[in-house]
Amino acid sequence: MKSLFFAIVFKELKSFMRSAALVAVVLYSFTIDIYVAGEGIDIEPRNVAVGYVDNSGGGISKKILSNLHSPEFVAPVQFLSQKELSNAIYNKEIMVGLVFDNDFEKLYREKKNTQLNVLLDATSASQGFTTLMYLQSILLSFEDIQIPLELKIHKLFNQNSDNKSFMALSELLSLITMLVVILTAIVFVKEKEDGTWDIMLLMPIDAKLTILAKTLSQVIIVMGGVILSLGFVIFGMFDTPMNGSFWSFIFLTFLYTFSSAGIGLFVAAIAKDVMQVAQFSIVIMIPLIFLSGAWTPVYTMHPFFQVLSFFSPLRYYIEGSESIFYRGTPFLDLYPYYFGVMILGFILYIIGFKKIGRLF
Amino acid sequence: MADLHLMDAFHVSGVSVRYKDKTAISDVSFEATSGEIIGFIGADGAGKSSLMQAIAGVVRFSGEISYLGQSYHSPKEAEKIKIHTGFMPQGIGLVLYDTLTVDEHLRFFADLRDLKKDAEFLAYKKQLLHMSGLSEFVDRQAMNLSGGMMQKLSLICALLHRPKLLILDEPTTGVDPLSRLELWEILRNIAKEEGTIILVSTAYMQEASKMDRVLLFHNSKVIASGTSAELIDSIRPFVYEKSLLYKDENSLNFDETSYSLTPLQSALKEPTLEGLFFVNALKENKNIAEFVINKKENDEVIPEVVMECHGVSKQFGSFIANKEIDMKLKKGEILGLLGANGAGKTTFIKMLLGLYSIDEGELTLLGKPIKSGKDRQELKSKIGYVSQHFALYKDMSVKENLLYFASMHRIDKKAALSRIALYAKELGFEEYLGSFANELPLGVNQRFSIAAALLHEPLVLFLDEPTSGVDTLARAQFWQILGKLKEIWGISILITTHYMSEAQFCDRVVLLKNGQKVADDTVINLYKRFPQAQSFEDIFLEFYKEKG
Repeated sequence: MKSLFFAIVFKELKSFMRSAALVAVVLYSFTIDIYVAGEGIDIEPRNVAVGYVDNSGGGISKKILSNLHSPEFVAPVQFLSQKELSNAIYNKEIMVGLVFDNDFEKLYREKKNTQLNVLLDATSASQGFTTLMYLQSILLSFEDIQIPLELKIHKLFNQNSDNKSFMALSELLSLITMLVVILTAIVFVKEKEDGTWDIMLLMPIDAKLTILAKTLSQVIIVMGGVILSLGFVIFGMFDTPMNGSFWSFIFLTFLYTFSSAGIGLFVAAIAKDVMQVAQFSIVIMIPLIFLSGAWTPVYTMHPFFQVLSFFSPLRYYIEGSESIFYRGTPFLDLYPYYFGVMILGFILYIIGFKKIGRLF
Repeated sequence: MADLHLMDAFHVSGVSVRYKDKTAISDVSFEATSGEIIGFIGADGAGKSSLMQAIAGVVRFSGEISYLGQSYHSPKEAEKIKIHTGFMPQGIGLVLYDTLTVDEHLRFFADLRDLKKDAEFLAYKKQLLHMSGLSEFVDRQAMNLSGGMMQKLSLICALLHRPKLLILDEPTTGVDPLSRLELWEILRNIAKEEGTIILVSTAYMQEASKMDRVLLFHNSKVIASGTSAELIDSIRPFVYEKSLLYKDENSLNFDETSYSLTPLQSALKEPTLEGLFFVNALKENKNIAEFVINKKENDEVIPEVVMECHGVSKQFGSFIANKEIDMKLKKGEILGLLGANGAGKTTFIKMLLGLYSIDEGELTLLGKPIKSGKDRQELKSKIGYVSQHFALYKDMSVKENLLYFASMHRIDKKAALSRIALYAKELGFEEYLGSFANELPLGVNQRFSIAAALLHEPLVLFLDEPTSGVDTLARAQFWQILGKLKEIWGISILITTHYMSEAQFCDRVVLLKNGQKVADDTVINLYKRFPQAQSFEDIFLEFYKEKG
């Protein structure tokens, strides 16, 4: 029985290695894609285009503007009227517009209620609002207001507030989900399409074993990718700190990929061809990712969705992985995550076995 | 008038189609005049479709095609004649849209061709509907039509714009015999009344007599052309009653006939069109191996009744695939399950194997009543199965495939290797052992699939359309193998096919029609019942006419 099981695993790995396209996709995803995600996605302001209309005659306004410099801002551009500035914002040439009214300087010097008008392109939401905070603190420091209170910030878990490694890790976790679901689903659907699945069902080997062997082969492929990605990109390029145990992460990843392969199995059970795999995978995975807290923390969701999020294995995986990387949670204390992932996986396999893994 | 005739003439000269490094069809020339029906006959992959696509102007080709005084050499140049051509590609209902009704199809195709919907058009449309027998079904959606009706609808859609050149790629394959007759009736009418040139390909030899001229395709070449009678005459001197006395590389035996290029002692025999392929093979000096099957390694007792079922039914939604079928497969018997596409052959085999659930009825396999999937576990090692389209792993070589299947049957590697070597030699695919499954000719693929199903020496074989699309020669060889397996291994074989002519190789045949069993008897008895029948095709037709 054991040798049969490994014969299937080995055959699937061989098939995978023979498919140049699949190998290329997996290699690309685990290296370049994660690197790009880490390097490219930035929510801090960079090269923000500022435009202004100055009717105040200069002085204070020039002093304020002189604080907007690179790398956060490109040199502010002057416009002659508010209309021109609005047009430029409309055309996406300018993200933040400042309008200094003609009584701006006068009111300011008289220490009256002075108003600086800010026009903000709120479609680039996070960049726009972070820019706004910059502006506020520039104005505050410009004022040099003394209040008897100071914020002393202690950054925990990610001391350098390093956004890159965080983004790269999040990308890796989502990517693992995508790949293991799609790879597994394709393995089964291709067999269904070619008719080899019927042949396998009629072989004197328990179909459950065949299914487990085939999913294991895809788990091995993805685990290989994970290790590659950790070595070259996560640790190699981004120097992501690892406060917990490396092996806890590998163990959790293994459990997680195995249960996510169950999603792939489920997709394969309901899909007729590879085309439908793509369609169903997206329909099933988008809500799983939304509900997992990968994009917004679970506690900010509507209570109904918070309940639903218990059914997303990705939720346990993300919480577990972040605990390992940033909080350094010990191996045994991670048991809720192990169990969460395992229980959901178990249910998915039972459905998969029932759907495609039996004779009548 | 003579000029006009010349104008109408259709010429194909030196046309070849190549895909990358593969030649699909090479150097074909023929001509046709108005009102002629030209038939293309040959196996899958022989080049029929490629030539049709070249003529229809949908693939690149070399050579020249001229029609209506205009010649073209490329798909681009063919644009100008497309208003005069109608093309129906291979595959049942391929050009139809599931959710459109018959009438919506006709309106849609008329709009595509930008036809004016005047009184003349409406009259023609009515005539087409009447001719195809679809008048009563104008409001029925395409997905609810039978295969035959779908093909008739596809045909009249291609006829709406009154093409002068009609190109039909296997319109009758897999269609029930009655619908096939009706399709031919429509074609004859169109050729006569509209003077249309019709090019039609088919997998059925019997249809040759309905064509004005036949082109025989084999291995990317046209090996013969002429009327069906001329073709048969051409091989008359080479066909004899079966002779076992004399054998060399210039002769071969198949079924009850001997083919020989050198004179034989036995009496001459009335040749068939199939014979052309055998004589051609002899002329090409191709080595046609006689297959040898050795005794099985393990001898197991086979029960007298291998499979028995009562009242087996299967329903998919509102579609009844199989209705109350009783069947019995005895020890050492070849049972042919015959029927058109959609008659329920594959569904029935899949129920026997447990790939589909049985809605109603009882099944006993190898003496064991089957109640659930658990009952099948121990039978798995006694059953061999070849599925439609020869299911094999495409990214593995023939040898790797066979070794993999052997390991699934827990045959140890040494025994497996020797058995694979033996089968490869016996079934003649030794030279392909290292090739990938998708690079094989269909006939080799077929033999290698059966080798895969035989590795564990089963007691019963279930074969689902193993001969579909395979050329005449390979089919003949395949039946030879089955005959020997029955004889030497003593196993039972249940085989499905839509070639009625293959009934003669079976001990007993079961005819399925719309999911129901309409006949279950030996071939001899069936001929006795219908003495006027010329071929098994005619017998099948009787059953189709009989009960509506």
